[in-house]
Amino acid sequence: MEQDAERSTSTTATVASTSEVSDLDPIARVRKLLFRQMLVGIKDGRFFLGNFHCIDKQGNIILQDTVEYRSIRRSSPSPTEQRCLGMILIPSSCRTSCHVDCSIEEQLSLVQLKE
Amino acid sequence: MQPVREEESSSIQNDPGNCSIPSGDSSVWADVSPLLSAACTDLQEGELIHGDNFNLFAAMSALEIMDPKMDSGMVSAFYSIDEAIESGFAPVPISSDKTVNVESIIDIMDHLLVCEATWHMGHSLAQTVFSCIYVLRPERTSSQALLHSYCRVIRATCRAVVSVVSDARTNEEEDLLTMTYGLPFNGDEDAKGLLLLNAVEETICRQLRACKATSAKRRLLEELEPLQTNPHLEEGFCKALLCRIRFRKHFLHALNCMRRPQGRGHELARKHIASCISELQSLLESAEFLRSNTVNNGETEIEERTTASGRQPIGFDSTLNKRLSAPTPPRAIKLLSWKKAIDYFVKLLHNLDQICAFSLEPDLDFVLQFVIQFHKSRPDLVSRAHLQLLLVQDGKLYGRDTFLTICARLLAIDVSKNHGLHLNEYILQLNQLMINLLKILCANTPWQRRKLGKILNDWSIFNVQMGINVGQLMQQDTSRSQKNGDRSLFILNHVYGWIEEQIHWVALRFLVLGFELDLYSPSEYCMVYWYMYIILWKLHEKARLRVLIVVHSEERKAKRNKEYSRDMAREDRISLWVLLIQCQTSLTQGLTLMIAALRNEGMCLKSQGPFNTENEKFTQHFELLQKASLPEYDAYESFSKSTAHASLDFLPAYECFRDAQKMAKDIKVGYANDPDKLAEVRGIEQVAEHNVIAVNLLCQDRSLKVSLEFTHHPYFATAIVRRS
Repeated sequence: MEQDAERSTSTTATVASTSEVSDLDPIARVRKLLFRQMLVGIKDGRFFLGNFHCIDKQGNIILQDTVEYRSIRRSSPSPTEQRCLGMILIPSSCRTSCHVDCSIEEQLSLVQLKE
Repeated sequence: MQPVREEESSSIQNDPGNCSIPSGDSSVWADVSPLLSAACTDLQEGELIHGDNFNLFAAMSALEIMDPKMDSGMVSAFYSIDEAIESGFAPVPISSDKTVNVESIIDIMDHLLVCEATWHMGHSLAQTVFSCIYVLRPERTSSQALLHSYCRVIRATCRAVVSVVSDARTNEEEDLLTMTYGLPFNGDEDAKGLLLLNAVEETICRQLRACKATSAKRRLLEELEPLQTNPHLEEGFCKALLCRIRFRKHFLHALNCMRRPQGRGHELARKHIASCISELQSLLESAEFLRSNTVNNGETEIEERTTASGRQPIGFDSTLNKRLSAPTPPRAIKLLSWKKAIDYFVKLLHNLDQICAFSLEPDLDFVLQFVIQFHKSRPDLVSRAHLQLLLVQDGKLYGRDTFLTICARLLAIDVSKNHGLHLNEYILQLNQLMINLLKILCANTPWQRRKLGKILNDWSIFNVQMGINVGQLMQQDTSRSQKNGDRSLFILNHVYGWIEEQIHWVALRFLVLGFELDLYSPSEYCMVYWYMYIILWKLHEKARLRVLIVVHSEERKAKRNKEYSRDMAREDRISLWVLLIQCQTSLTQGLTLMIAALRNEGMCLKSQGPFNTENEKFTQHFELLQKASLPEYDAYESFSKSTAHASLDFLPAYECFRDAQKMAKDIKVGYANDPDKLAEVRGIEQVAEHNVIAVNLLCQDRSLKVSLEFTHHPYFATAIVRRS
């Protein structure tokens, strides 16, 4: 299973595959993001970094092996604390941002595809 | 919870595009929110995007972020303690107005007392005592001697309690009392708290004297600054503070004294405990004065107040440490009220006093009876932990007597000449069994019962092994060992006999605890009393044997040595105890027969439900006893045979209740000086008396209604007869 995940990561990360990806519909493209490192920010200012595991129609996301990052003070920039949480469910209602770890080339393609 | 390295943590902002959380090498964070929302729109209802390893069942256990019952990291009022302090949540000094300052400190003291009691009841330290920023960061208040020293002493007290409970390990898994992860527990600094508190007490004493003094004397004391600015309130505030400070001081002293080995500090501890109780009384009395100063807005009920004045204390936020309360879910806790907290401490202190007053006699009968008596007041964890640490120290009773000498004393044998015996494998095992038993007896009631049931098996296996081995040795060479003056075998044989008695004692305790825990339904009383009768009967037989051994050997010693004084008090005590068991045996026999007769005549309590047969219920209740071969025969068969033909017509002829009543009368004389025992025996006597009358009435008129109630004794039922 893990090998599959790595393979999918490596293929999507290559430049060659970007054009291929761009042809797919959004669902297929999100499916390509599975198992990759995802950074989700939520309303109260915390961030969660974990492996993208699942998403449903309502936009609730499940991450695996998650680390929580939290600032010590309200005023930013400030130092952060972190702790491990394991598997978490982030309801779409409290999600404010969502990012995926990728190469610069891939990022460009994702940005293009948005429009 | 280590802070992220500096370069990584430079800026986490709401725009994670340039977020500081590192992405992989030569890669960036790409915003995928639009892509996700596009995908979500395309998804069908109920459809998920997931990998091959997705498991819905596992996904159900994911921690839901921002759920108040699951997410302990949810940011509430403050991001961190530092932020709370910077925002002026816990100012130092609390107010520039000295009167307000003192008032606020008293509120904090009261609230801390409430927190401490709530903590003792099993909540986490992080959410109770350490929800106070002044306790979390005592170094901030070093300029405010009063608040500072008080917080230091609170911390030292918490440490003392944690150490007692975690050493004794009488706490259950659900008790969070000993969890202190991530909390600042700085021992060295806190130890100085008492010295500081003494100095503060001294100053306030002088301030109190100054405000009471007449004007002439006042001049002499003029250089002394008053506690606060309002002269009319000075006396009241001084008094309110003094009782709070003194309670703290004496409480910590008492806890420390009780930890001295072999109960050496008990006498001193009792003095401190007495002071504590009287200071708590003063605390209650100070409430009127403190309440009179507050503008009463009538919002908080007296029952819910956590301070004497009824104001909310400053500097407390139970959500600050919420993440430290893991592994529990982040639940909100309900604090006790101030009144209830004081009640709790009074009870705790009385229980501790009971322990300190215990005479530490090297007599196991005495110890076991004390522990049972102690349990009657339902003592809380902290006092039970103290009792356990007193009873078992360094593998010895009170840290003083080995269990071999204790057993030998029970049987009035002298073991001082048999040096090798304490290394005998059976004696070593017995030592372990006794330690376990004493520890279990200090646990809370449900746990105690469960564990007692389990150790019965250990005891009975040990008993069987020892029986076989000792029997073989006895056959091989009795003559030789007698000549050498080595009486090891003789002693082992007696110990073996006593173990059988002890097993039955444990079994009886197991059965009795079922009543305390309400485990038996009225339809099952018949079988429970039958079982108790079987166990008591055997216990009585074994105990009587031991009395004979004791009396015999004491007589011999007395003959040999003219100056030897027989411990008559002790002999009397055992004989009385044996008589009490006999009395209880008669009573349980009577109860069994009476209930069985009522059942057979269809007058009450059929034990047939739609789910379990009587046999199944019997097994459910007594499986552990039967596994330990108590009794050795098929108990259910014997039970059904012996109760099948019970009839009201023959009941009066058995006279079990009358026998019990007669014996109880005799025992009462013996226990004249022991009010606890006397009350117990009186209860038994009343049960017997009422049941005699009930049986007579029932024989005359079968149309009467009967019910069983525990009005006179906690586990011996009284039959109540009513005309329908």
